[in-house]
Amino acid sequence: MVENDAVTTLITERAAVRRNSEGSRTARRRTRGTRGDTWVATLLISPAILAFTVFAIVPILGGLALSFFEWDLFGTPVFVGMDNFARLVTDARMWQSLGVTASFVVLGVAPTILLGFLLAVVVNVRMPGIGGWRVLYFAPMLASAAVSAVLWASIYNGRSGVLNQLLALFGVMGPNWLSDPFWAQPALVIIMIWSALPLVIILYMAALQRIPEDIYSAAALDGAGKWRTLWSITWPSVRSATVLIAILQAVGFVGGAFELALIMTDGGPLGRTESLALYAYKVAFGQLEMGYSSALSLFQLVAIAVLVLLGRLVTRLMRSAE
Amino acid sequence: MKTSSAYRAFRYALVIVLGLAMSIPLLYMVSGSLMSAGELASYPPTAVPQTPIWENYADAWNYLTPQVIGNTFIVSIGIVLLQLALALPAAFALAKIPFRWTGVVLAVLVVPMFVPSNLGLVPLFIVNFQLGWLNSFIGLIVPMAAQSAFAILLFRQFFATLPAGLIEAARIDGAGWLRVLWSIALPLARPILATFCSVSFLTAWNMYVWPQIVAPNPAQRVMNVALAPLAGGENSMISPAVGLAGAVIATIPVLIVFIVFQKWYVRGVVGTGLE
Repeated sequence: MVENDAVTTLITERAAVRRNSEGSRTARRRTRGTRGDTWVATLLISPAILAFTVFAIVPILGGLALSFFEWDLFGTPVFVGMDNFARLVTDARMWQSLGVTASFVVLGVAPTILLGFLLAVVVNVRMPGIGGWRVLYFAPMLASAAVSAVLWASIYNGRSGVLNQLLALFGVMGPNWLSDPFWAQPALVIIMIWSALPLVIILYMAALQRIPEDIYSAAALDGAGKWRTLWSITWPSVRSATVLIAILQAVGFVGGAFELALIMTDGGPLGRTESLALYAYKVAFGQLEMGYSSALSLFQLVAIAVLVLLGRLVTRLMRSAE
Repeated sequence: MKTSSAYRAFRYALVIVLGLAMSIPLLYMVSGSLMSAGELASYPPTAVPQTPIWENYADAWNYLTPQVIGNTFIVSIGIVLLQLALALPAAFALAKIPFRWTGVVLAVLVVPMFVPSNLGLVPLFIVNFQLGWLNSFIGLIVPMAAQSAFAILLFRQFFATLPAGLIEAARIDGAGWLRVLWSIALPLARPILATFCSVSFLTAWNMYVWPQIVAPNPAQRVMNVALAPLAGGENSMISPAVGLAGAVIATIPVLIVFIVFQKWYVRGVVGTGLE
């Protein structure tokens, strides 16, 4: 969560810097500062940077290094070169979990974006008492992963869950959602979409409020209907928000899949909800294979990077095709 | 745009219906937490408990003990305070004090944002293990508070908007940088402090994986670690209603913070620059 927020802040900050480039040019002239300034700045910055280095930078570098070692946490780490990566390539469970991770992202991101956009359009309206009703849309934010897990485990319960009781009203016999090899993953994806929607709605609302009103009047003059206006004017106008949200959600679904599955299904049934992150977690804290676990995490990082690059390529191709 | 009153009524209804749809799982959580196990499983399902079973809360209390709740407050507040102590001075210096390495520091802060957190998880655990911080409050608080990039960037963005003249005037009057930070910048920073504290507190309160790994012992157990086992499957001996009661207990502080800080919290989520 914090990371997502930080990325948002960073991106908006970059925009702000660009806007204020006039001011920063004069600021640059002063950046060197006096010796006293440097002293005070060092004093104020170093505790945060020291802590950040030890607990954020070192672990990442450590993870990179560990993936070339074999270590059970208690003995001495043994350098094994590329062995962990060689093992990884032939590890069927790794490939399955990579596929699970990918399908979490594929199943989750597009519906989240589409639903979030439509809901934001719905609540982005001026009417008396709207503030109070809007809060209902933010409600899922209140539920932590553990709270969501408890709540939805009860809803999905095969025998006593309210979902199957509701389906029974329509004569449908619901499955045992979380232990059904086919339904377990979609069931988790629905929880994640529900949890992710408030953030997406907020980001889209902010984007919607920046669309100039006169575009709509022009469209109305041209006789465009509401549905037509929505897809030909509103949707393209929030494209930059959509790109940001897509990236945040892709990362979010990789992480969310890990936490929820850890609590609710432990990767089951038959490994159908075991994402790469969860597999790496089990290898580390179940089997105490710290090196192989790091190699798995590193592989996940590479896989995500490839995914992002592919995504950029596709959007660029789509744009040039337009 | 002119709209007919029928359309407006339709929009109003849509807002309410979809809002209820979004929040209905949480409403179900509250309602189900007061049902007996039998009523939860009854067909057709009931929306409101016939007679509220308050015992569910007494049972949930056995898992979410006062100590667990106290631990969660200690850890969450500890993380917020330590982050403030680390990030505020750093952010002020990065925004207002002329310093050659500002660009380098900012670049370092940004790096981990592009790395999925689970790559660092195992080594971070190892750091904690080597420091002897397993099953301790310090091990729960310090490593999480140290991930302060969001805090630093957020505060820096705010401090950068303070007019240079204000600060120069104070400097010419002989105020040191620390005095400028404490007496001028901080009082003006109240809204951004509210934003940060609500976001940071809720993030800390909702942590699960880190405390599960580094402090599973009862003495330091936090809310979510105690709650997760109540997400029992089909064969769980614990009534789902007790789990729901626990989930309600765990959510109450979040709800309070959210209601009090809603405006600032939402602002923090959007990022201040988007307004």
